[in-house]
Amino acid sequence: MVSSLRLPALTSLFSPSFTRRSTVSLRRRLHLRPPLAAGFSAQSAASSPTETEDRVDSKKSGRVQDRGSTDRVITPRSQDFNAWYLDVIANAELADYGPVRGTMVIRPYGYAMWEAIQDYLNVKFKETGHSNMYFPQFIPYSFIEKEASHVEGFSPELALVTIGGGKELEEKLVVRPTSETIVNHMFTQWIHSYRDLPLMINQWANVTRWEMRTKPFVRTLEFLWQEGHTAHATLEEAEKEALEMIDVYTKFAYEQAAIPVIAGRKSKVETFAGADKTYTIEAMMGDRKALQAGTSHNLGQNFSRAFGTQFTDENGLRQHVWQTSWAISTRFVGGIIMTHGDDAGLMLPPRIAPVHVVIVPIWKKVDEKTGVLDAASSVAETLKNAGLKVKLDDTDQRTPGWKFNFWEMKGVPLRIEIGPRDVSSGSVVISRRDIPGKQGKVFGISMEPSILEAYVKDRLDEIQSSLLQRAISFRDSNIVDVSSYEELKEAISLGKWARGPWSASNADELRIKEETGATIRCFPFEQPQGTKTCLMTGKHADEVAIFAKSY
Amino acid sequence: MAGGEQKKGGGEQKKAGGGGKKKEVKKETGLGLSFTKDENFGEWYSEVVVNGEMIEYYDISGCYILRPWAMSIWENMQTFFDAEIKKMKVKNCYFPLFVSPGVLQKEKDHIEGFAPEVAWVTKSGESDLEVPIALRPTSETVMYPYYSKWIRGHRDLPLKLNQWCNVVRWEFSNPTPFIRSREFLWQEGHTAFATKEEADTEVLQILELYRRIYEEFLAIPVTKGRKSELEKFAGGLYTTSVEAFIPNTGRGIQGATSHCLGQNFAKMFEINFENEKGEKSMVWQNSWAYSTRTIGVMVMVHGDNKGLVLPPKVAALQVIVIPVPYKDADTQGIFDACAATVAILSDAGIRAEADLRENYSPGWKYSNWEMKGVPLRIEIGPRDLANNQEVEKDVKARTKGEMGAAKSLCTPFEQPELPEGTKCFASGKPATKWTYWGRSY
Repeated sequence: MVSSLRLPALTSLFSPSFTRRSTVSLRRRLHLRPPLAAGFSAQSAASSPTETEDRVDSKKSGRVQDRGSTDRVITPRSQDFNAWYLDVIANAELADYGPVRGTMVIRPYGYAMWEAIQDYLNVKFKETGHSNMYFPQFIPYSFIEKEASHVEGFSPELALVTIGGGKELEEKLVVRPTSETIVNHMFTQWIHSYRDLPLMINQWANVTRWEMRTKPFVRTLEFLWQEGHTAHATLEEAEKEALEMIDVYTKFAYEQAAIPVIAGRKSKVETFAGADKTYTIEAMMGDRKALQAGTSHNLGQNFSRAFGTQFTDENGLRQHVWQTSWAISTRFVGGIIMTHGDDAGLMLPPRIAPVHVVIVPIWKKVDEKTGVLDAASSVAETLKNAGLKVKLDDTDQRTPGWKFNFWEMKGVPLRIEIGPRDVSSGSVVISRRDIPGKQGKVFGISMEPSILEAYVKDRLDEIQSSLLQRAISFRDSNIVDVSSYEELKEAISLGKWARGPWSASNADELRIKEETGATIRCFPFEQPQGTKTCLMTGKHADEVAIFAKSY
Repeated sequence: MAGGEQKKGGGEQKKAGGGGKKKEVKKETGLGLSFTKDENFGEWYSEVVVNGEMIEYYDISGCYILRPWAMSIWENMQTFFDAEIKKMKVKNCYFPLFVSPGVLQKEKDHIEGFAPEVAWVTKSGESDLEVPIALRPTSETVMYPYYSKWIRGHRDLPLKLNQWCNVVRWEFSNPTPFIRSREFLWQEGHTAFATKEEADTEVLQILELYRRIYEEFLAIPVTKGRKSELEKFAGGLYTTSVEAFIPNTGRGIQGATSHCLGQNFAKMFEINFENEKGEKSMVWQNSWAYSTRTIGVMVMVHGDNKGLVLPPKVAALQVIVIPVPYKDADTQGIFDACAATVAILSDAGIRAEADLRENYSPGWKYSNWEMKGVPLRIEIGPRDLANNQEVEKDVKARTKGEMGAAKSLCTPFEQPELPEGTKCFASGKPATKWTYWGRSY
């Protein structure tokens, strides 16, 4: 059952000026407030709630308390995309705010989306020869220091444990921000000869990065992910593995999440601290900003040299191993929310959706109720037996209209309505989430199991591909091919992505970031043919790069 | 073995620096355990979990690396348990690792029980945190403020959540892989009900699932029972557990626990609901968990002096097929037969693989896979090929042992008859029930 949520407090937490807390959460304030007021983030140093703000807040929350027709209000996307995002997450019960700044509580509906991602990827990882294992969460600080650029890249974000069991620890321990250092430490012990290679493992774990600015799913202090780590005898094998994994991610994004990512290679500036090459999948969100949805690194011998991870090759020579690492995280859930949602809320691709079909029985008179509920139950059974995830919303505490709004907001792909007339005619009414209004509604679908099952499955497949097609059109219509810096600036200022030839320097790249806010998302694998000249320098360029503002 | 890691083996040192094209075949196993289960149980255990490639020791005392061979066992149990609780309409979620000190201290008995074991984050990067942050030793205090927020009326109940995660308990007593480590993996279920009856029912339903994990998956007999007041969960109403027995040491071991928290946490965290009559009432709660300790118990009960012994239901590999080539024999034919055997078994849903590595002798492989505890071994040699037969060998283990000082393990639900006039062995007063006593981990 849904409990009403206090919107003002929730929305304000993750936006830059987060310190205005609703007085409705008075009871909670006692234990939730102190850590927040402790000033971990730069923002909290600013304001404390003013009287006027409190009054406004409690008025707003007064409205929220009223369980009338609209206790869920979602800010329109076009008005304030960030507020829309936070509203959807709160109303669709995907996540809540953790007691420690920047942490998040993943509620069952949101967690189920993560599980769908996990289940799919787990199978793929096993198919590609990887084994799951689990490394400790604590890393001795000395490990982190071994790879110089790595420690430079991560050090401000490290959470350090210095007290355990009431005693000061001998060496401070880092709560893992990523596991390369531990993995290499162990790889050094396990790898001796070429016969021990390739070594291919993966772990599902939580990692911690003490971020300054956070956003649910997209950037949280602690998040869940999988990190794969492999060691190979040759550079070629490592490169092949890195590319194979980014391909696994790309297929996953397209086929399961209906997100048409652009896969490519990061620029040197954007490459992972400690990697030779970073490959990425970039997704365009509903506000046209880019989201880095997954990465795969060819680490070369950077870590193996730092940790002495060597093997004896077939000729008896000692060599350093070549490594890769690759990861997808709960950020991807944020990507799904922002790619497909609309002003009514979430819109979930069937292959990720925790619920495929919601059944809403409708009755006016008391004597209609039993017949309708019985029919609804048997329809639910039919579809469950067909392997679908079904929710029968038969509570009489809410009107059908309320339920329609609620489940649309939860992004459920299909809704089945059953009223007394449907019961007599042995048919149901089916509505698609992705097509609003009358257009998306079909009457008179037979309740007969084989017919209904086939119809529902077909519609779900259609919705899956339709969401992908829409996302592709949206993406393509928002990428501008540019041939000069002026054109690039214009495209970015219009909120679009710019794609143009690039062979300029790191300094030039940083200049673009400073002047426009856009960064190179990647050099896409799919490159146009023909000669190209750099949009900045006019010199020859081998590749085009994609520029965009990003999360 | 596809993908995962391979054993380096004791013979490795002899190979170091060897050059040349000569194929070195490992004949000497160097894989035997140096300790016996009967004589040095503690050392035997530490050795077998490492040699069986389940555990790797780590630079931080009390923290261990779980290798694929152990992880797969954890995952097999997880698949079963997750499906069962989903049937009970429990939903998975994820709460933060970090706990603010204020919340941690809300339930005073609870915090007294756990405070000495908490690890604290005190810095981020170079700067000190204004308020140190704790890492969850268990998640009651993390989750219950949200329960308070989310539960309003009886329609919000029951609330049944579970999470699979890692927890941290900074202990100083003997760290033992799987059995007692500073970080371990587990599941923790936290449920809230409108009535005590519902809570009581669930406590036992979950306990039954734990029994099934032990008895059906790990082949370990356990006794269900209720903990004494002293041993129950800090802050709870009563605790039930499944207790296992380690024959070699005569010690008992707590296998898993299912607690009824009563209304203690509801009181502290103000978890109230409006019942059907419109009255305000506190919820009744349970919490229940089992951890990677299960794997340790399995090793202790079934392992023998040759290594691990894995019950087929949880073993990553149930059958290992080993070719036994002979000088002039049709080696390729033997390899093909091995592959075919694996295919047949795999199609039948059996987890089988062939060990075709040419740099290890059959003898070495026998020892290796026995060490790793694979339930069945199939050998295929030239004669078998000719006769179209296969030779099977079973790997089994039995051990027994005795030891001293004890504590109460649990009061079993199944009580044998208590003759009138039986006196409590400790106090001399008339006894009211049978209780298990023993040494425990």
